[in-house]
Amino acid sequence: MKGPESLARNKPPRVQLDPRFAPPFPQAALPVLRNTQLRKNVAHAIDVIQSKRARLVEEKADWEELRAAASDLRAHVLDNLGHYLEEFESQCTAAGGHVHWAADGTEARRIVLEIIRQKNANEVIKIKTMTSAEIQLNLFLEQAGIAAHETDLAEIILQLGGEAPSHIVVPALHVNRSQVRDIFAQRMGLPDLSDDPQALTAAARTYLRKLFLTVPVAISGANHLIAETGGVVIVESEGNGRMCLTLPQTLIAIAGIEKVIPRFQDLEVLLQVLARSATGERMNPYTSVWSGVKPGDGPQNFHVVLLDNGRSDMLRRPVERQTLKCIRCAACMNACPVYRQTGGHAYGSVYPGPIGAILTPQLQRLEHAQSLPYASSLCGACYEVCPVKINIPEVLIELRAQVTNREREEPRRFFDPLYLGLRIASFILASPRRLRLAQRLGRIVARLFASRDGWIHVLPGYGARWTRTRDLRGVPSQTFREWWSTRNKGEQ
Amino acid sequence: MNVASRDRILAGIRAALPVRSVERASADYQQIQRSYIRTVVRNSSECTALLVERLREYGAEVAEATPSDIVSVLSAQLRASGGSTFAAPPDLPLEWRVPGFEWLIDDGLSYEQLDKVDGVVTTASCAVADSGTIVLHHGSAEGRRALTLLPDWHLCVVRASQLVETLPEYFSRFPHAPQLATYISGPSATADIEMTRIKGVHGPRFLHVIILRDVS
Repeated sequence: MKGPESLARNKPPRVQLDPRFAPPFPQAALPVLRNTQLRKNVAHAIDVIQSKRARLVEEKADWEELRAAASDLRAHVLDNLGHYLEEFESQCTAAGGHVHWAADGTEARRIVLEIIRQKNANEVIKIKTMTSAEIQLNLFLEQAGIAAHETDLAEIILQLGGEAPSHIVVPALHVNRSQVRDIFAQRMGLPDLSDDPQALTAAARTYLRKLFLTVPVAISGANHLIAETGGVVIVESEGNGRMCLTLPQTLIAIAGIEKVIPRFQDLEVLLQVLARSATGERMNPYTSVWSGVKPGDGPQNFHVVLLDNGRSDMLRRPVERQTLKCIRCAACMNACPVYRQTGGHAYGSVYPGPIGAILTPQLQRLEHAQSLPYASSLCGACYEVCPVKINIPEVLIELRAQVTNREREEPRRFFDPLYLGLRIASFILASPRRLRLAQRLGRIVARLFASRDGWIHVLPGYGARWTRTRDLRGVPSQTFREWWSTRNKGEQ
Repeated sequence: MNVASRDRILAGIRAALPVRSVERASADYQQIQRSYIRTVVRNSSECTALLVERLREYGAEVAEATPSDIVSVLSAQLRASGGSTFAAPPDLPLEWRVPGFEWLIDDGLSYEQLDKVDGVVTTASCAVADSGTIVLHHGSAEGRRALTLLPDWHLCVVRASQLVETLPEYFSRFPHAPQLATYISGPSATADIEMTRIKGVHGPRFLHVIILRDVS
């Protein structure tokens, strides 16, 4: 069997989830829509989570009350974010932790690298963390000569297989057991491995145990930061989290600045909604809470990196601000009819689904990912399941308005048929006389294309885009207003 | 630490929002509606029954004991595990270190030693019936975090008096946050491959709970 060291050097994923370079959503979705195996894998996984979640929400008599409290709590944090961050910083420091502030991904990566270098480490173990994916930490560390070992089972599958994550809670849900078997068999050197999930899981356990016991630095995210105690909360299932949080000498937690909550007791709300929404469990198997450093127990060197990376800008906007209430449960993507068809890669971001459709463009300050606010039918299923009541459709519409406003200001869009048409429409509709004239003109032009049955079956040029797949009803010989005026005359 | 970034981020946050005093923030916090269930409806034996049901659902083994038969119940569980070497936190009641097995007391054992023992026996700080959760605050009879993590077999003794019905009840029982806490709801598990729940990834694959009836 190859040693873990040789496995750490990975090929970069085939799909690069970088919103700066990702193709627009409709284009990126096409290959997935043609990949029936992938769609089957995604649909199966989502059906399982959805039905488990529905059952557990049903049994919870006070679900709506919990949702309301969770929503109010998260909104309250955002209203007072400065206070709570400062309180967290002083409490965490008093408990023996070190708090760093990173304005953007570049700064966060530099801080992490400096800490690793100080410890003379050339490898790190990682708990699944969205913030580290957001700042593309693994790629950066590899380039700096540091092997970053993912320890979450799904993340190992992706890392060893050169795959990109497609979901924020179950990142490898698009990969099925036989694909996992092939990846493990090849990369772990286990040709006789079966595709039984039990055997695959056991292979991962053996593969990682040595790393847990030897690698001196771990990197985690944070589900919550507790202002009152300086505590950090990690919610997980496998125990790889506890291993990373307990065994290495140094621990670095990277957390978005919005992750803070006021008090320890607030977990009574958040822990009750998080697991139910995320995996359809009453409680996830393991939750760890720790403040700073405790002599004789766990890492004696503990750092928290508070990551802004566009978040404080989002606070400024009253409609979009609610995006920051998110607790990353992924219930919205599980409920989304669009995500169900396209899977996560089409979103071109580590944050897919409805929350990704609003979060990613904002993190990119609308410079990139402008197609994402349109990757939704606005059906509202995401809002309905959101445990912190983020009105995602409302934010989607606001972002669409901003994208449109920006686009139509661009000189190169001046002759874009969409904006040209809208400008003409706006000119015509501004005056009754122009409207009457246009209607007459339209009748004459439409008659040229209409068949004997009164329908238009074929249009030339740009109009063919419509008639290629559907017929167009011809223009009637009389407008409503013409009919109305003759009707009045008849009655007199 | 880069002070400039800290100040810049905080200034950005403060510029985005109307500035509020700390007093105002704490008054607003008190106003948050908490109309979810915070009262207890089950009696002690109903709570115990619920905890047992939840733990079994997660795939944990559950037994009940009284102060007079706890040692024999423990002994039976240890024998059934097939192991011979067990670790224990320093303040585990002496009589629970049942003779006939080798006991390693964790006064700073190495991780390699902990990785090699057959199991570990500890107490708990609390158990939450509704979610089937064992709460460890890692005191001297619960052990440090590594003690209940590296061995593959964990036997945890919970006293009936430590049982609460709901998560909010746990938080009101412990208004002061412990420095360390681990909430365990069933053995380590994953559903990362085709959403098939597999028991036992990295944490102990076998979780045994003895509920000790110390209240009548």
